[in-house]
Amino acid sequence: MKQKEFIATVLPFKDKLYRLAKRILVSGDEAEDAIQEVYLKLWKGRNKIGNYRNPEAFAVTMTKNYCLDRLKSKQASNLKIVHNNFQTSENVEKKIEANDGVQLVFKIMETLPEQQRIVLQLRDVEQFEFSEIAKMLDSNETAVRVNLSRARKTVREQLIKKHNYGIS
Amino acid sequence: MELAKIEKLLDAYFEGNTTLAEEAMLRDYFAQDEIAPQVAMYQPLFVGLVAAKEEVSDRELKLPKNQFKIKNWWYAAAASVVLAIGVAGFVFSEPKLTQEEQEALAAFEKTKEAMQFMSKNFNKGAEELTYISTFTETKNKILK
Repeated sequence: MKQKEFIATVLPFKDKLYRLAKRILVSGDEAEDAIQEVYLKLWKGRNKIGNYRNPEAFAVTMTKNYCLDRLKSKQASNLKIVHNNFQTSENVEKKIEANDGVQLVFKIMETLPEQQRIVLQLRDVEQFEFSEIAKMLDSNETAVRVNLSRARKTVREQLIKKHNYGIS
Repeated sequence: MELAKIEKLLDAYFEGNTTLAEEAMLRDYFAQDEIAPQVAMYQPLFVGLVAAKEEVSDRELKLPKNQFKIKNWWYAAAASVVLAIGVAGFVFSEPKLTQEEQEALAAFEKTKEAMQFMSKNFNKGAEELTYISTFTETKNKILK
């Protein structure tokens, strides 16, 4: 596979992978590093990419595994996750500025367990079908739905709590 | 959209039982301004989910330039072939002199021959002169 062809195949979902990596690793810088690594791996195995029916799903799985590994090795070496660059993208920043509640939602999402964060990201942000997510996570649809429901309910609880106390 | 339907969709949403189309309806509902106060607290969630998708990576990917390496190798091979041809051409074309050079070479040879002939004759004369030294020796013997 030539470089041009490779880029045409894998570049369209670069941002998706980045958002997933950032959802897991929290830091934007680390997410950028992670997808760089993932793309290097994809590039090394580029001749096999053609054999996969769905390169995007394959890349998502790879990104998820890589980021979880990073997280594990980080926790093992007792490093704290830095998220000084919570908002990197300007357009997102503008949207968030207009709404304190949205900022809160992002904060709540950070507190979810990794698996729930991943499912929420893939379903509610990237809008993949349950069957696709199940394949990406090497799981089944029921498990995905359960995880997703838990994630959504946690966000709801936190939102209601804040709503009742009054955030503004 | 009427509130009852939204509330029903929300219930299904939190149970993980909505389809992608239904979730899109919820996002659309919360993206507009007229939201029923009963469900207003969910607005940040759906606005946030839409906003989260707008985030993009702004770092360029760096891929190894494998193919350029191969190209460079070919450049090197091509350059050495050209060089070899150049050197070989120079070496093999040397004996082939132009008309003018050949004439000059012939003239040079002729001149050399003539010069040598002349110097031989000079040397002949010089040989005769050795008798003079014999004469001087004999004279010295006698006169002392």
